[in-house]
Amino acid sequence: MGEVKEQKTSTSDETSVEEVPGVITTTASAISDFLKKTKAQDLINWGRKNSMWFMTQPMGCCGVEMIAMGCAHYDTDRFGIIPRNSPRQADVMLISGYVTKKYLPALKRLWEQMPSPKWVIAIGDCSISGGPFYESYSTVQNIDEIFPIDVFVPGCPPRPEAMLQGFVELQEKIKAKKDLGTEY
Amino acid sequence: MDVTEILKSLTGRFPEAISEAIVESEIRARAYVDKDGVKEVCQYLKDSLQFDHLCVVCGVDYIKRNEIEVVYHIASYNHPVVLMLKAILPRENPEIESIVSVYWNSNWYERETYELYGIVFKNHPNLKPLILPEDMLGEWPLRKDYKGFPNKTARNLV
Ligand code: SF4
Repeated sequence: MGEVKEQKTSTSDETSVEEVPGVITTTASAISDFLKKTKAQDLINWGRKNSMWFMTQPMGCCGVEMIAMGCAHYDTDRFGIIPRNSPRQADVMLISGYVTKKYLPALKRLWEQMPSPKWVIAIGDCSISGGPFYESYSTVQNIDEIFPIDVFVPGCPPRPEAMLQGFVELQEKIKAKKDLGTEY
Repeated sequence: MDVTEILKSLTGRFPEAISEAIVESEIRARAYVDKDGVKEVCQYLKDSLQFDHLCVVCGVDYIKRNEIEVVYHIASYNHPVVLMLKAILPRENPEIESIVSVYWNSNWYERETYELYGIVFKNHPNLKPLILPEDMLGEWPLRKDYKGFPNKTARNLV
């Protein structure tokens, strides 16, 4: 890693770090920016895609299906997909149902509390287009303008297998470095 | 007591406040109640006629008549009768006495009727929106002239 730090300091002149003779300083974001250009990112992404912990935050009837997916019957653990209760420990947020105008601020807050890298999967017709609540006075439309949604899983509600497929698609995207959760 | 006796007792006690009392079947009855007398009528129903279960409070917007109705469904465990009471309010300034002091569970019903229709329940202990966000107060989404439905096409739909 010593070589990495050296290269980075030569390019990160905008983060005006004080020059000390004989000492090479760098920042964590400079290192990660550099790593994104190397093969090491493939290894990091391999790790990320195999430990996608999701936040248990059911919002509509799809949320029940989401909980079913996290339980033993569908065994998401074999993909490294584990339900977490805290946004601080989660990598994936599932928008599992209708987003009402009252709930949107709370949802945004949960999203901000999740540490990067983080991804969003929209589950169910409600989060994709409004579903049965399309044209309702209290739901928010076009959620994808608000969150960077990587995968849409249609259905009302989608089967847990379909949600698992959504996770697998997200894994493929991360592997191909096409996901919206990270800037490459 | 059967349903005709109940209505007779009610109209005998409140000849002014109760009007158009109709027996619909042996388990259903309905009547119009004057908006100033609703609390006294409910108190009498609860104390003297054993109507101890308020099922629901809701509103109806009659935009052509320029009126809003508040509808109370009150039932009894002692005799199998559901009584529907309706109060007519003007559409411009709908105000009615709260019945929380009679039926405690009307608290949330009245709050929801308030946020959806803008019917003000006077002397309600905590009249604020129940389910809708605070900033939607004043839009009254279930009134017939509500214009705030999203007209943006959801892009993913097309
Ligand atoms: S898509 Fe269907 S199942 Fe899912 S939250 Fe909406 S209505 Fe419920």
